[in-house]
Amino acid sequence: MSKVLITGIGIISALGPSARENHTALRKGICGISLPDYLHSRYAEIFPAGEIKITTETLKSRLNITDNSVTRTTVLAAHAFEEALDDAGLSREQLTSPNTALIGATTVGGMCLTDELYRDANDKGMNSPFLDSYDCSSVFLYLHKRYKMNGLANTVNTACSSSANAIMYGARLIRLGMVTKAIVGGADSLSKFTINGFNALHILSPEICRPFDSNRQGLNLGEGAAFLVLEKEEDARNKKVYAEVKGYCNTSDAFHSTSLSDDGEGPYAAMMGALVSGQLQASDINLINAHGTATENNDEVETRAMRRVFGEPPVFTSTKSNIGHTLGASGAIEAVYSVFNIINQEVYPSLHFTDIDKNIGLSPATTYGKLPIKHVMSNSFGFGGNCTSLIFSES
Amino acid sequence: MFYIHQTSCISPQQTFYNTAIDDLETPVNNRLHAVEPAYNDMPKNSLRRMGKTARIGIGAAMPLIKQVEGFNGIIIGTGNGGMEDSVIFLKEIIEYNEGLLTPGHFVQSTANALASQLSLASLNRGYNITHVHRGLAFEMAAIDTAMLLRENARNCYLLGGVDEISSYNYKLECLDGWYKKEDISSGGFYSSNTTGTVAGEGAVMLLVNNDKYNAVAKVVNISTLHTIVAMKMQQHLQQFLEQHINTNIDLLLSGENGDSRLLAYYANAENLLKNDIAVARFKHMCGEYPTSSAFALWLACKLISGVPLPAHMLKKGDSKTTYSNILIYNCHKGVQHSFMLVSKTE
Amino acid sequence: MEKTELKLLLKKQIIEFLNLTSLKPEDIKDDEPLFGDGLGLDSIDSLELIVLLQREYGIVIRDPKEGRKILVDVNTMVDYIEQNGTK
Repeated sequence: MSKVLITGIGIISALGPSARENHTALRKGICGISLPDYLHSRYAEIFPAGEIKITTETLKSRLNITDNSVTRTTVLAAHAFEEALDDAGLSREQLTSPNTALIGATTVGGMCLTDELYRDANDKGMNSPFLDSYDCSSVFLYLHKRYKMNGLANTVNTACSSSANAIMYGARLIRLGMVTKAIVGGADSLSKFTINGFNALHILSPEICRPFDSNRQGLNLGEGAAFLVLEKEEDARNKKVYAEVKGYCNTSDAFHSTSLSDDGEGPYAAMMGALVSGQLQASDINLINAHGTATENNDEVETRAMRRVFGEPPVFTSTKSNIGHTLGASGAIEAVYSVFNIINQEVYPSLHFTDIDKNIGLSPATTYGKLPIKHVMSNSFGFGGNCTSLIFSES
Repeated sequence: MFYIHQTSCISPQQTFYNTAIDDLETPVNNRLHAVEPAYNDMPKNSLRRMGKTARIGIGAAMPLIKQVEGFNGIIIGTGNGGMEDSVIFLKEIIEYNEGLLTPGHFVQSTANALASQLSLASLNRGYNITHVHRGLAFEMAAIDTAMLLRENARNCYLLGGVDEISSYNYKLECLDGWYKKEDISSGGFYSSNTTGTVAGEGAVMLLVNNDKYNAVAKVVNISTLHTIVAMKMQQHLQQFLEQHINTNIDLLLSGENGDSRLLAYYANAENLLKNDIAVARFKHMCGEYPTSSAFALWLACKLISGVPLPAHMLKKGDSKTTYSNILIYNCHKGVQHSFMLVSKTE
Repeated sequence: MEKTELKLLLKKQIIEFLNLTSLKPEDIKDDEPLFGDGLGLDSIDSLELIVLLQREYGIVIRDPKEGRKILVDVNTMVDYIEQNGTK
């Protein structure tokens, strides 16, 4: 089976609208979380979030998007997508080839337009131009059309592990020889819908989130998008290659709709399965980009599952301390961050951690440092018990 | 690709307890609602918070879950699963002005609620995923399953396609012009010459593996395409048929839905096939919804295993007693096209 | 309101709020645990019941953990409503 290589990356997050800006901010330990300026919600004054401080209109004009049915989620996706394309240097022929797939993921999709959807669905006032834009697939159907792609296209929604599964789907298509390239990723934007939903579950933190800390109070939402260009090894000869998609595994925790089982059966099985699929030992993993949402339940269960897999776990961090939880985009964003870890052989500080939780007994890496990194594991766990672990390796 | 061993279907027709598809249930107010069973064997307390997608999905899956010792994963396609709960939660947000809200509808609003509830109902900790690529959501789930069976040859998977008519989704699609404005009885469904169709819903669940022995049918190939250009769709189908030049296709299951804008695509499919191949339609039975091709696949399984083709389905050609190779062609909103070849197992 | 009356009302509200359509008020015993083996409710239900207390009785519970002490059974809920209800 062919190796699956990452040859291009694109990202937009609260740390900036490019890979370069995200990398610089991670190195400096910058936190992009603050009270939102653009989100229309009464909670914008209460809950900090990882908001991208650029308006949808500005982003649209930068990308020359004039279509008035395009939502913020789609614009973020297009922004990251174009950067990844340029970075991989894909030609028009390669992009439009039937052998190039597009696999996207989102949970909010067009529902970032909470008020518009309410008006349209309840027949209040004029129809908006967004009738065909509310569902998740609208984001990637738009990209597929805009870039005149002809290959297989798909949209995945497994809540917070969505884009980890999009990466996995694309990698498997390549490994099985069904396509030669796959552009994979995810996008989500801040919305009145999600901030109210997470608030109803009482898991939003009124402070900036503190993954793994004993005083953590919950998560901050974030927004963003990331794409990776995956290519079959034979296609990537003589090209710049960042890393290899080495292992992956998707499992279900089969426990509860919004919390993980005490012993983290799903997370444990996902991490173990990823090692098996990558033909690696636990001791081969140098760094874990944890799911690390900073909810009481996640951080405790995730670290317990890590102990089950690793004994003494390797260095781990949560980049959600920089950008918040970007939901359907988080798996892809953290994949890009894992690429940074590998190509620069460095660990970025996990922010806002001060006190060890006695129920966890572990501390994430809190300072920047150089580290020999061959293999990074990235965890994504979603509502409904959807757990996915990915392993990225030096190529 | 894979073999189908068990099937279960909740649809607007009599398809769940027994298959009585000769007697046609017709649409009411341009909607074909699923005939829901009594749900006697659902896990305790689980029904009350389920949206309809989850309810009919689990309802359809329960007989399969109970029959088999176990399976290795759950792969679901749904175009608008969770939509109803999303809009109910949205209504709460607006009506209580973002006050303290109940989280139940938010939790059910994510499309993966069904796959998640299925894993709870079957205590299955294996692969679990939800594909939501609108009119190709089921096809993406089926292709995923085929990949899993190449990676894990001895495994068995639960594959499903489920969608509901939510009042909100119906309204949005109505505004967008996808449903007929005039009231349509089933009889005038295909000859209306107007745009739009009738709304439908349903849940199909399949147990699939690589084992030919005792299989109901084999899914030989699935191909998908995004285009609005009828010529491109035609070329794609031509290539698909060339791959199966030695297969004697004896029935086209056409997703024709009475929308005049889509007729050209379906006509292309009919014209590419040999003249003596029978053509049957199914959208008057299940209505239009993103994963309606799963209903077509269920029908194909039934026809292959000897259920007679009802006269109301036949558009062209003669009804045979059994079919060996069925081509399903479906087009969603003139953009997403799917081609599935289903065969009898020798 | 009499305690028995309040209990009956609360049971009706619980059934309606949590969509426990298979139950009648008399099926819920006053001292039957709401969570775990009794009614079998879960953590999402506890959040729903907190909303019930706020909407119907004007009781604001900010920390769900505090709620767990109140949401033991119908008796404990009624005691708390009698002491703290503002509606």
